[in-house]
Amino acid sequence: MLRMTNLSKVYRTHMIETHALRGFEIDVREGEFVTVTGPSGSGKTSFLNIAGLLEEFTAGDYVLDGVNVKGLDDNARSRLRNEKLGFIFQGFNLIPDLSLFDNVDVPLRYRGFNASERKKRIEDALAKVGLASRMKHYPAELSGGQQQRVAIARALAGSPKLLLADEPTGNLDSQMARGVMELLEEINAAGTTILMVTHDPELAVRTTRNVHIIDGQVSDLVRKGPSLVQTPVTA
Amino acid sequence: MFGYYFTLGLRSLRRNRALTALMVLTLAVGVAASISTLTILHAMSGDPIPEKSRRLLVPHLDNGQVDGWAPGEKPDDVQMTYQDAVNLLKSGQGERRTVLFGTEMPLEPPRKDMPAFSSAGMAPTRDFFAMFNVRFLHGQPWTEADDARGADVVVLGRAMAEKLFGDANPVGRQIRLMNVPFTVAGVVDYWNPRPRYYKLIGGDTFGGADDFYIPFASAIRHEAGINGGMNCTTKREPGFAGLLASECTWLQFWFETRSSADRADLQSWLDRYAGEQRKLGRLKRNVPTHLYDVMEWMEELKIVGNDNKLSVWLAFGFLALCLVNTIGLLLAKFSVRASEIGVRRALGASRREIFSQFLIETGVIGLAGGLLGLALSFGALALIGMQSTEVAAMARMDWEMLGMTFVLSVAAALLAGLLPTWRACQVTPAIQLKSQ
Repeated sequence: MLRMTNLSKVYRTHMIETHALRGFEIDVREGEFVTVTGPSGSGKTSFLNIAGLLEEFTAGDYVLDGVNVKGLDDNARSRLRNEKLGFIFQGFNLIPDLSLFDNVDVPLRYRGFNASERKKRIEDALAKVGLASRMKHYPAELSGGQQQRVAIARALAGSPKLLLADEPTGNLDSQMARGVMELLEEINAAGTTILMVTHDPELAVRTTRNVHIIDGQVSDLVRKGPSLVQTPVTA
Repeated sequence: MFGYYFTLGLRSLRRNRALTALMVLTLAVGVAASISTLTILHAMSGDPIPEKSRRLLVPHLDNGQVDGWAPGEKPDDVQMTYQDAVNLLKSGQGERRTVLFGTEMPLEPPRKDMPAFSSAGMAPTRDFFAMFNVRFLHGQPWTEADDARGADVVVLGRAMAEKLFGDANPVGRQIRLMNVPFTVAGVVDYWNPRPRYYKLIGGDTFGGADDFYIPFASAIRHEAGINGGMNCTTKREPGFAGLLASECTWLQFWFETRSSADRADLQSWLDRYAGEQRKLGRLKRNVPTHLYDVMEWMEELKIVGNDNKLSVWLAFGFLALCLVNTIGLLLAKFSVRASEIGVRRALGASRREIFSQFLIETGVIGLAGGLLGLALSFGALALIGMQSTEVAAMARMDWEMLGMTFVLSVAAALLAGLLPTWRACQVTPAIQLKSQ
């Protein structure tokens, strides 16, 4: 599903070069639920941004669902992002002046689905996260947990192959976090590959495997988790 | 996606309402200033008879003296002498032809309860009405025979006809002009092109409609008073007969050709005519003759003054200033939406999509500015029109200018939106998503 080979990311300013990732290697297979952990500044976010085609990498190779993304122009990267990826952010990142329906509609608009197809997908996605009855509400009218569920619905509506989650429970209390985590596990169980950055070791142990990053490199890969897919440990 | 982006644009108007209102107002004020001055210019300089303006031609023969004249100098006058006018009328050149001059004379109404009053009219030939597409409410123009014998017939303007006869059809009735009874041949419907391109010399270029029209030959026979300009470069004999025999220029002449291609033939004929007159010793200056079509004639006579053009330039300068302000406001409006841009980029919007969305949103602001600008333009034109009735007649917005208001407003908004929109496209989604 996602393979990065000898990948590096260097941020350059006039004075300083910062190596966010170096010789980075990872292979995420279809159906896996992988957590990415590591201390602050280790390169987790850079990795997730590059995986999500939100940032370019400096060197190496990155193949997403069979497509080598190196050298793709903005249009191609945007299309790939829209068709194959779903995003869940720590801050939910819902658009405040759009209703839940319209928020979930955003990626579907860029996909070019017709109105009836979009409506069906939005309703299905909101039903899946238990918010079908509130589709005309606005984000500000929801709790944090509910907002994150909407963000998950938005990520799912386009039937992505890979869900990228950046500390999705970071802004939630423990009860809401548990609910969101259970929802992600259900989604993974239904076949969607998930790559989740987290600081929470309790969440990390619940997934198929945990990738630990230190100084821009994968330091070790840990254990089989409770997920349906059993994956070999690779470096 | 246009509809989606347009809807987002409409919703966006509600976001940052104070900022949006300021932008719309800034744009509207600039557009109103430009449109109101442009409306005046448009009314003054527009083609008043587009269907045949290239076929209506004013001939010019320079009959000025050579003393004190240097070749290349502009002619003293662009009107015509009586002798030349009569010769050109008889020439048979063009499909139609008319000479004309403005006149003012006492008019005695048929009603006993209405005293005599001074009335302004014109003295053309019968062809005048067909040449300038003058529509008749009652009756018709006088006949060629009336022209030939200088018959005492009159065509009334509608306002004058209603003043004298009410709603009744006055054809066949009589009024007295210059103490002479004239029979009403017809009534011209409301017809008052502005500028009065058919008679641009002698004042009242933007004035009201003519009260009446009498045959040129009749006006000459009755020695009607001349209401217009006259230029005499040589001594003339006294009296009206002296005027007719003189080289004084006081008449305006028009040809209508069958097609614009016939202009060259008419020009050749005019050159030959001028050559003959030179041989006869009448025309002293060896200069080419000229033909002007309607738009060339208006340009030659500088109907649109430099002040008018300058005011339009100033108004557009003001609009540019408003646009600079709008750019600043748009930058502020879009900068607070960086996180939304980041989200949309993450969800699959390309830079091109973001550019389209924000440019269309800017266009919606332009439309709103156009609506308000239109209202302000009407107000500005009403204020301008308070100067005089002539200006008021110019300060009227037609459909063309109404459409222009929106085109200008949207185009101005899009222009102002280019930089802010381009900057919106450059938002780095990763940074925005993390920082929210």
